[in-house]
Amino acid sequence: MNPAEELKYLLPNSVVSVGVQTNKPLAVIRKEDLLKVAEKVKEMGFDNLSVITGVDRVDRIEVIYNLFSYRKKQNLALKVVLEHRSPEVDSVTSIWKVADWLERETYDLVGVKFNGHPDLKRILLPEGWVGHPLRKDYDMSTEQFVTIGEDGEDIVSTDGSNLLRRK
Amino acid sequence: MITNPNAYDLIVAILNAIGVYNIILGFFQEQGMEYLLRIVIVLVEIAVVLVFVLLTVMFLSWFERKMFAVVQSRYGPMVTGPRGLFQPIADGIKLLGKEDIIPATADRWIFTIAPYIVFVSVLLVYIPLPFGESLILSDLRVGLLYIIAISAITPISILLAGWASNNKYSLMGAIRAVAQDISYTIPLAITAIAVVVFVGSLSTVDIVNAQQGYWFWIIPKWFIFLQPLGFILLLIACIAEMGRIPFDFQESEQELVAGFFTEYSGMKFAMFFLAEYAHMFAVSGIIVTIFLGGWTGPAIPIIPIQITSLIYFMIKTYAVIFFACWLRDTVPRVRIDQLLHLGWKIMIPLALLNLLVAAFVVTAGVI
Amino acid sequence: METETLLLNMGPVHPSTHGVLRFKLRMDGEIIRDCQIVIGYLHRGTEKIGEMKTYLQFIPYTDRLDYIAAMPNNYAYVKAVEELAGVEVPQRAEYIRVLVMELNRIVNHLVFMGSLLLDLGASTMIMYGFRERENALQLYESLCGARMTFNYIRPGGVREDLPDGFIPKLNEFIKDMEKRIVDYEELVNGNEIFLMRMKNIGVISAEEAINYGMTGPSLRGSGVDYDIRKLEPYSIYQDLDFKACMRREGDSYARYLVRVEEIRESLHILKQIVDKLPEGKTINQRYNFAPNTGAPSAVTSYFPRIFTPTEGEVYSRIEAPKGELGFFVASDGTTKPYRVKIRSPSFCNLVALPKMVVGLKIPDLIAAFGTIDIVLGDVDR
Repeated sequence: MNPAEELKYLLPNSVVSVGVQTNKPLAVIRKEDLLKVAEKVKEMGFDNLSVITGVDRVDRIEVIYNLFSYRKKQNLALKVVLEHRSPEVDSVTSIWKVADWLERETYDLVGVKFNGHPDLKRILLPEGWVGHPLRKDYDMSTEQFVTIGEDGEDIVSTDGSNLLRRK
Repeated sequence: MITNPNAYDLIVAILNAIGVYNIILGFFQEQGMEYLLRIVIVLVEIAVVLVFVLLTVMFLSWFERKMFAVVQSRYGPMVTGPRGLFQPIADGIKLLGKEDIIPATADRWIFTIAPYIVFVSVLLVYIPLPFGESLILSDLRVGLLYIIAISAITPISILLAGWASNNKYSLMGAIRAVAQDISYTIPLAITAIAVVVFVGSLSTVDIVNAQQGYWFWIIPKWFIFLQPLGFILLLIACIAEMGRIPFDFQESEQELVAGFFTEYSGMKFAMFFLAEYAHMFAVSGIIVTIFLGGWTGPAIPIIPIQITSLIYFMIKTYAVIFFACWLRDTVPRVRIDQLLHLGWKIMIPLALLNLLVAAFVVTAGVI
Repeated sequence: METETLLLNMGPVHPSTHGVLRFKLRMDGEIIRDCQIVIGYLHRGTEKIGEMKTYLQFIPYTDRLDYIAAMPNNYAYVKAVEELAGVEVPQRAEYIRVLVMELNRIVNHLVFMGSLLLDLGASTMIMYGFRERENALQLYESLCGARMTFNYIRPGGVREDLPDGFIPKLNEFIKDMEKRIVDYEELVNGNEIFLMRMKNIGVISAEEAINYGMTGPSLRGSGVDYDIRKLEPYSIYQDLDFKACMRREGDSYARYLVRVEEIRESLHILKQIVDKLPEGKTINQRYNFAPNTGAPSAVTSYFPRIFTPTEGEVYSRIEAPKGELGFFVASDGTTKPYRVKIRSPSFCNLVALPKMVVGLKIPDLIAAFGTIDIVLGDVDR
């Protein structure tokens, strides 16, 4: 029994389906139960959260969690499917600390909102950036200009007004 | 009281030797201004020392870079002049041409004046430094005390520079510099006192004279052989005093960008640069004077002692500088709290112990 | 006496932030009370570019992630694509791939040692490290014409076979490195000041390190006996004899020692590859669509420029010099990836830094940060 099937056995109501992600077991999770599943999975020994990937599938947004267990030497992928209009899911920062930055990155680039994240703000792009670049409908024709303010914080504009010299 | 001959006497002696002193003196006496002659001679001495310091700084910066390069299997400066010897001149011209920036929020007056205070306070150390037999600007009777006192001006001016820059890195660098200087001036002074106990005089010339001669015809009577512990303590304290790796907290570029002179540019930066190297030479000279026999060395016939002694002094000083550069090339920087720990908890007790032993030996009349 | 904490902005332009990284520090005198890391100054949108390029066109962009050691980036991406498309790779190509990757590990760790010592104020080591790195870079130059951004590993194999005289030069390099590494240890490891600065600085326990997502040598310095080359052997690693270097202390010195030991292991691997290197093709001929013009300068074999894997997703990871480097590639059956996600080791290792340094001093921050060994191109992507 691979970990995804084991998870399905343990939490039958939370796991929607079980599959594979190219030789790695994959479990699709109901988004409401993510936190519960994450706790269970951590108990099962998956102590390393490798990566959180957000994929814009145009009609929906998928968030994929790739996990690894140092003890059992097993892989597991979890997937939640979110609405495209307002993608929201619980944060797993309380379980894996590394999720802090990974979730911020997913929020920044894909626009998934993680509820319960301690400090959900943009990480790679400057605060005030318009849009989430890895969305398929991201507007790439609009230029955005970034400068660094006096206090070290970034200033973003779409018309370049911040590029003018201050006084 | 007999004073030791100094550079003034030497100039008078030279003028006498070529037979012009009386003519010049007569000229000034006619005008009724004998004091003017004294002033002129002193000014000549000062000019000679200034030129010497500038040349030394230039040579030192080349020497250090070249040595650094050799250690790191590089060539170092090669283009300007023979083996890049004129590189410091090119650097100087470049610095002169740089824009002199004063930050908008800086305290203009203090910011401007601080580099000059640093430089002058370093230059003042040269006054009682014996370069050779009678080659000394002024043989102060409190020479050693004077040197320690003048050295204490430097941290104040560094604090001024760091504070006036209105930059957090500058301020932290300045605070570190002061903490470091205070904790290392004390062991330095105590170790120096241990030597004074032997000599019975604070005059630098007396200290050198006390180190003339040999034990058992071979070992020179340098204080390094009498107080090896004292020498090591003084060496460490002096390297900390110079502010060089492993103790270069005032700058510590990887932590504080450039420490207290982060905001300085152009000629003001050059002043700090000059002061640093002038200070390095002066401090090395002090180590040589106190522990390595100063300008003493075997006399060579025909050549006047003034010249041989100058050569001996330079060789020894450059040996100390070589050691300091070598240290910079090989070791990392210690942490500021580790440095203070070393200063207060290890070096001061050891310096006191050294002084105690010295006092006991002298009182018991062993030597 | 009333005191205030000082907000200190370290970076984005600072001598020891290894590029454009910004620390927002709240200082109590010299002691760090809070440390926030601001990144993104080098963000080039590599993942978005990936969606707009064909599978082959994206390989040069992976070079620009971790530019100190670009070969593993090439390989990690190519491995993901190969898994997605089910491409077979000739044995000789696999050996060459591991050869260039292990060479790159040595290069990476030499730069690491140099820059760490430079951060601590000893500037000689970086010159020594770069001197030896130069020999390795010349090997790369003879191999693929580039010194840092190789674009060498292709789906189905490698771009070109080893040039004449490569193996003798490599043997020379290995022999030279084995002597040099002893020199380095004499210069650095026994240095009392170095030990004072490194021991018990930036300590992180094994559980915390795993939870904070640390991987690679930084994690092995905390006593986790883990190495993807061992756990999920890819390429030819199961045929090679090497050990995952590990230390238990979890401090900066342990992380440093692990990397020095890894240079030795990589040299050991290189020697085995030189002995075992099989003859044969260096790229999968099934995908060789090159017209046989007979001209001597013609590329003998390459992967097709237009190439469509079947629909699917893959997450594939390798042990890069800095840690776990993973590529998530999703295909929708067209010529371009639907989504490329890069799990970079530098990004995830950096998460743990504030945890390590709160309560220490600025010089300790520099030391701990140096031993995490990040590259900003890899963090910001």
